[in-house]
Amino acid sequence: MSEWMEGLNALADVQVLAMLVLGVLIGIVVGALPGISATVGVALLLPFTFALEPLAGMILLLGIYGGAVYAGSIPAILIRTPGTPASAATVADGHAMTLQGKGVQALKISVLASCVGGFVGVLLLAFFSPFIAEFALGFGSAANFMLALFALTVIASVSEGRMVKGLISGALGLAIAMIGLDTIQGFPRLTFGSADLLSGVSFIPLMIGLFAVSEAFIQVERAAKLNLRMKPEKFRATPAWLRKMLPSGMLGSGIGFIIGVIPGVGGDISSFVAYNESKRITKGSSQYGKGEPRGIAAAESAKNAGTAGALVPTLTLGIPGDVTSAVLIGALTVHGLQPGPSLFTGSPDLIYGVFAGFALVYIVLFLLGWFGTGLWVRTIEAVPPKILWPTVVVLAVVGSYAVRSNIFDVIIMFAAAVLGYVMTKGGYPLAPLIIGVVLGPIAESGFRRAMMIHNGSFVWMLEPIPLVLGVLTLASIGFAIWRARKKPVLLTSTEEDKVEGKVS
Amino acid sequence: MSTRETARRGVQSMYRKGAAVSAVGGLLLLSGCAVETEEQSGGNQINLVVPFAPGGSADGTARQLAIEAEKTCGQDIIVRNETGGSGTVGFQSVAASTPDGTTIGVAAIELSILPHLGVSPIGPEDVRGIMQYSEQPVAVGVPDSSSTEDIEELLTTDEDVTVATSGTGSIYHIGFAGGAQVAEQPNMRNVPYSGAATAVQAALGHETDAVSVGAAEMAPYVESGQLRALGVAGDERVEDILPDVPTFEEAGVDWTSYAILGLFAPAETPDGVISDLNECFNEARQSDSFAGYMDNLGFTQEYKDAAEFDAFLQEEQERYGPVVDDAGLRND
Repeated sequence: MSEWMEGLNALADVQVLAMLVLGVLIGIVVGALPGISATVGVALLLPFTFALEPLAGMILLLGIYGGAVYAGSIPAILIRTPGTPASAATVADGHAMTLQGKGVQALKISVLASCVGGFVGVLLLAFFSPFIAEFALGFGSAANFMLALFALTVIASVSEGRMVKGLISGALGLAIAMIGLDTIQGFPRLTFGSADLLSGVSFIPLMIGLFAVSEAFIQVERAAKLNLRMKPEKFRATPAWLRKMLPSGMLGSGIGFIIGVIPGVGGDISSFVAYNESKRITKGSSQYGKGEPRGIAAAESAKNAGTAGALVPTLTLGIPGDVTSAVLIGALTVHGLQPGPSLFTGSPDLIYGVFAGFALVYIVLFLLGWFGTGLWVRTIEAVPPKILWPTVVVLAVVGSYAVRSNIFDVIIMFAAAVLGYVMTKGGYPLAPLIIGVVLGPIAESGFRRAMMIHNGSFVWMLEPIPLVLGVLTLASIGFAIWRARKKPVLLTSTEEDKVEGKVS
Repeated sequence: MSTRETARRGVQSMYRKGAAVSAVGGLLLLSGCAVETEEQSGGNQINLVVPFAPGGSADGTARQLAIEAEKTCGQDIIVRNETGGSGTVGFQSVAASTPDGTTIGVAAIELSILPHLGVSPIGPEDVRGIMQYSEQPVAVGVPDSSSTEDIEELLTTDEDVTVATSGTGSIYHIGFAGGAQVAEQPNMRNVPYSGAATAVQAALGHETDAVSVGAAEMAPYVESGQLRALGVAGDERVEDILPDVPTFEEAGVDWTSYAILGLFAPAETPDGVISDLNECFNEARQSDSFAGYMDNLGFTQEYKDAAEFDAFLQEEQERYGPVVDDAGLRND
């Protein structure tokens, strides 16, 4: 317990607390702007932390990390444009709620779930990280492959009702992910001799184009006013509402944390998996995909719980859980601190200060986010569509270019925008494509590494973790088939909902 | 909508617009600052291209060096990451830029390896070295619980040995494969991961039998008792971080392999510009703050001047050719 006192003591410092609030604010701005991801925000501010005390620097960066991962959902909900990749799972339900005039409610769920997920994640990180680190180490290539396979079954869930189009979209995503040097042998694939394509299609420009700019195209074409209809809505978080959200939020926190812990898999996919599982536990007919608050609760809690999960291998083993935490390692090493077991014994004030500070980040973020909701809405509302959408396009260009200072990424972004536009017009869901792009490389390299290590034998499939995940994958596919066969019943129930809606 | 309502909305929206405009204005101001500095300096700035991702050793050291070099060179230094293709994208971008000293890049040993792999057309002959500022030998290690005693055993065993590295054709792959080739050990197999950290993780989790990464990257895990370093592919032992670990040479295998960091310019850059850059960056390298930063990371500073660096890259390229052939990686 004394370590906790040391940590809290170190945290109770004007500079540290100022950095905490500053970090959260910067994070919100960074996350809300399409194209500037949490990683970019943290990397930009990293040199600034060299001049700070280690704890103050870490807290500043963690504030940005948490804030940006949360704030990516603000534009996802309001203008169907995820600010960061992790918010892609929130787009469908969040924006649907906005169109139904429930944007404020969606934003409030988003901030509440993000912060609960983050907070729960930090608690798990603080109390169980040494044990969980062991689990992360045992999670090898074979398990990564099986996990990716399991996560791919999410495609069935997010494209319910238009399964074939969803599968086409997912396959397209997998194909896009194949472009570039292959991850195992470094052999150029589908590059057509272009040096720019060697490194593959960058994820951020692809995502910005697919969601943000294609949406801008559609909006400009419709020349429709942005129908936010926030005014009439009086939303109160009642205990009954909170009880309804709780199971999805807790499920999301758990899933997000666990997937976040596994190095190399990354939190971008955890929100989709959490969304899928939340949908599965919801009984009876639901509005998933058409504005279901529980879907947002699950996805949002998962993405922020993942930020804490990613710190488990980072702090205990010195192995970054995701790209952002790789940059965080840089912030520690510059002060002569080596992440790993020695950090816990050598500098308890720092490590427990980081735990307490990261928890505090989520409390501050909650206060700013909950009471800031009105401001986000007003800011977006105040900008007329004829200015809003061109601004989105400009930000998309800047964001795509900024990733690695390459104009080719801007071209990729516009190509993705056209693709997204055509797909949306044709009724092809976009989420499966993103899922395919993220999971393709994880599945491929996991599979090929497992085969190399076992000299071409498939015995790895019988190891405990891969076996369990394999069974879950089959169960998930079976569940999707069962749901699809049951569909006629579902259709009638949604029709009933519509009728009821008209009456009320 | 009634007139009154319209009017009210109008006022509200004006108010809101004000808030939004000031928010956007603030952002523009921020981004404006960045644009202005770039424009102001024009010819009086150095663009330092890092061909690797933010957060890695190339990125961290280059940014730290740039802070000092802004003083010693008297110019603004804009560091930017141009990543992709194991460094190919950044190498090409620098090699193709105007050779006047305004665009330089961070060099890594991949410059000498990638041309063999057929991945990058840019090799040592397409660039000019400015200086080398760091080097670390490749180190081979095993999990602490491994039954393999020492490097001789690893290089002579009849059993299959899987070796985790940071990627196919990376220096850590070529580094151990070259040693195995000299020792005539055909049983060591490369298992490529996405970086040095994930390669170490594979060995820690007993997924592979061994791991080959840089000495500095292995040292923390040796210190914490999770890994045992068996050998380093250096001319001599790495006294400050792995003093007890023998060199390959001590084990009777005549093979060295280093991961290096340096600076390079386009091939046509004039001699005068190169020597000016060498002078001020070398001064920055010797500053206390840069030296302290390198110490903290466990990186050894090892200086080579422009001519030595050029010769070194050329030699390494010749040495790595046969290793790439032997590993079956050549792809013309």
